[in-house]
Amino acid sequence: MHLWSRRRQPNDITDRPRGPTARSKRRSALVAAVGVGLVATACGSSSPAPSASAQVPLSAKQTIVFSTQGLGLEGQATKAAVKAFEKANPNITVQIQTLSSSSNVALEQQQQAFMAGASTPDVLNVDVIRPAEYAKPKWILKLNKFHPNTANFFPGQMASGEYKGGIYAIPWFMNAEGLFYRTDLIKTPPKTISQLIADAKHAMAVDPSLKMGLAFEGAKYEGAVTAFQSMGGQFTASNLSNINTSANRAVLQFEYDAINKYKITPSAASTWEEPNVQSAWLAGQTPFALNWPYLVQLSEAKGSLVAGKTGWVPFPSVWGGSPQASLGGSDLVINARSVHQAADWKFISYLTSNSAQIARAVFSGDPPSVKSAYNSTLFAKAPYFKMEPAVYNAAVSRPVTPVYASISSQMQTLISSVITGQESPAAGLAATAPVVKQLAATGG
Amino acid sequence: MLASDRRLGYALVAPTVIVLVVITGYPLAYNLWNSFHHYVVTSGQPATFNGLANYARLFHGQSFLPALENTAGFTVVSVVLETAIGLALALALNRPFRGRGAVRAAVFIPWAVPTVVSGMLWKSMFDPQQGFVNYVLRVLHLPGGHVTWLANTGTAWGAILVADAWRNTPFMAILLLAGLQVIPSEIYEAARIDGATAWQSFRRITLPMLKPALMVALIFRTLSAFLIYDVVYAMTSGGPGSSTDVLSYLDWRAFLVQSDFGYGGAVAVFLIIVCLAIAAAYVRAFRVETVR
Repeated sequence: MHLWSRRRQPNDITDRPRGPTARSKRRSALVAAVGVGLVATACGSSSPAPSASAQVPLSAKQTIVFSTQGLGLEGQATKAAVKAFEKANPNITVQIQTLSSSSNVALEQQQQAFMAGASTPDVLNVDVIRPAEYAKPKWILKLNKFHPNTANFFPGQMASGEYKGGIYAIPWFMNAEGLFYRTDLIKTPPKTISQLIADAKHAMAVDPSLKMGLAFEGAKYEGAVTAFQSMGGQFTASNLSNINTSANRAVLQFEYDAINKYKITPSAASTWEEPNVQSAWLAGQTPFALNWPYLVQLSEAKGSLVAGKTGWVPFPSVWGGSPQASLGGSDLVINARSVHQAADWKFISYLTSNSAQIARAVFSGDPPSVKSAYNSTLFAKAPYFKMEPAVYNAAVSRPVTPVYASISSQMQTLISSVITGQESPAAGLAATAPVVKQLAATGG
Repeated sequence: MLASDRRLGYALVAPTVIVLVVITGYPLAYNLWNSFHHYVVTSGQPATFNGLANYARLFHGQSFLPALENTAGFTVVSVVLETAIGLALALALNRPFRGRGAVRAAVFIPWAVPTVVSGMLWKSMFDPQQGFVNYVLRVLHLPGGHVTWLANTGTAWGAILVADAWRNTPFMAILLLAGLQVIPSEIYEAARIDGATAWQSFRRITLPMLKPALMVALIFRTLSAFLIYDVVYAMTSGGPGSSTDVLSYLDWRAFLVQSDFGYGGAVAVFLIIVCLAIAAAYVRAFRVETVR
């Protein structure tokens, strides 16, 4: 199961210094000359975009390349969907290009293909935070001409694929962060933050086997940003000009207070990523946990300690706004240089059909991105999907901007500093807000 | 005769030189070129020449200097620590004792663990609830049993140093042990006959004879400490806040998070220059001593 979490491979650099001698100096001059020549060639390279006439018609026999992450169940679900699509469209073959399971390496693989101007992969599976980044350099195709049925997707995720008024991505499967609560310990899910704090304290007092009242991820990584947003942090594209708001101060203060004042969250949470939250929840150590829907499926699995005791709702806004669920999930995009655009769209339409969406949800647990797939057919096979649309309707995308990654990096440092008490929310936000504003301006 | 020998020599090294030019020279030159340009890959804009602006950003930006300070501090502390422990280990393993082969193999195991894996491993060891470190401290009634190590600047650095030393001390030990083994035992025997104490033979025989091995070990260890990246990424991501940020991690972010090949290139050029300078300084220091 990949969410959007950052994983990375080791990157060992070994320098072999050599002492200079007269002869080696002569040689290095030669090497430098060759190097300069190579650079000159590199700078002159550019490749033209394909002309419209180069497009392969839909009815022709063709092969399209689908670039996607996904191991295990997700990978098998993709293979099954491709097989069904090929059966229905015998003239189109889909070749799956499996990317690294590490999302950063996968990102590099896709970016390198784009930077090289390759016409494949034709269809790409990208994280919801990427479409704007790829739309800006015109690496991916504007999809308005295919007239996608936008009303059938959750609005938050649909928005993640929009850039400057154009639609560049179609939601493939949904993911949003919400509040898990133990239905045996908490009778009605809290609507306000003070109720959540009171419920958490009460549960801890009543049940000594609980080790905490609320588990959330506070490590310095992308998850800290989604947790901040799910608690009510104002962090969408329109907020970037000034994130130093009282709402954001309140959310950061709450994260610090949960650990230090209310003592419902262990200090270890400042180093936690969602697997840590997951294990606290599945071990029955906490009445509340902030996490993604994959945990619904794990909670309801056979032999789980919390099976039948799991509820999932949007996290109440810390500052009293309407609840937000930070959006994760996956989108589908088309390479702007693909010469199989008609077939690419056909494939995307298939992947977002009710039957394909339900098959994937049941098989691998990926929540459908299509509203109409939440129907009796799905609920008959997996009843726990019933509680999920409530969270998805509250889904809010992280800022859709080509410089998202840089902005997120600033936010991660900010949240980490505040949770660990190195900085007050006010001081941290005052220092970070202008940097974020400037970054957002360069993103255009 | 000599001329044809020389030609043959050139022909034989040609493939190596070509491969080096392609896989090292080209990226180096390309990176150098980038460092003088404003070039954000995902901006959709072509690279534009901006002179030394990227280099100026190193010293006027907010993150570079603190990261440089952290990196330099880490390098000094970790190299001193690992050299001292590595030398002690090497001396111990060089003495004959029963089961020496097994102990040698055991000592070198951490070196066989990939750095990022050991980083992940130590992160869980330092987990305040399930971690081994706090468990042991609590069982032994020692202070620190309830500390969240990775949430404070000082303790986070301590944890990183421990993880790095666990992984890299065996490397020092291997190289120094190899150096110790080539010192002929006759010299020690002669010294003993002349009445030298253990400390005197260590000071006057072992250390001077160990110098070449020590230099190689120090160069490698210092450079890779200066380029530290995996342990920091795996354990703290530069946190809490940015208190454990280091240069290679900053550079990785410049390239892969910000897609800023210009600024990233400038940081990389800085790293290369410092590494060359460190290596040159070691070579010089050891050569001067040898001449004396």
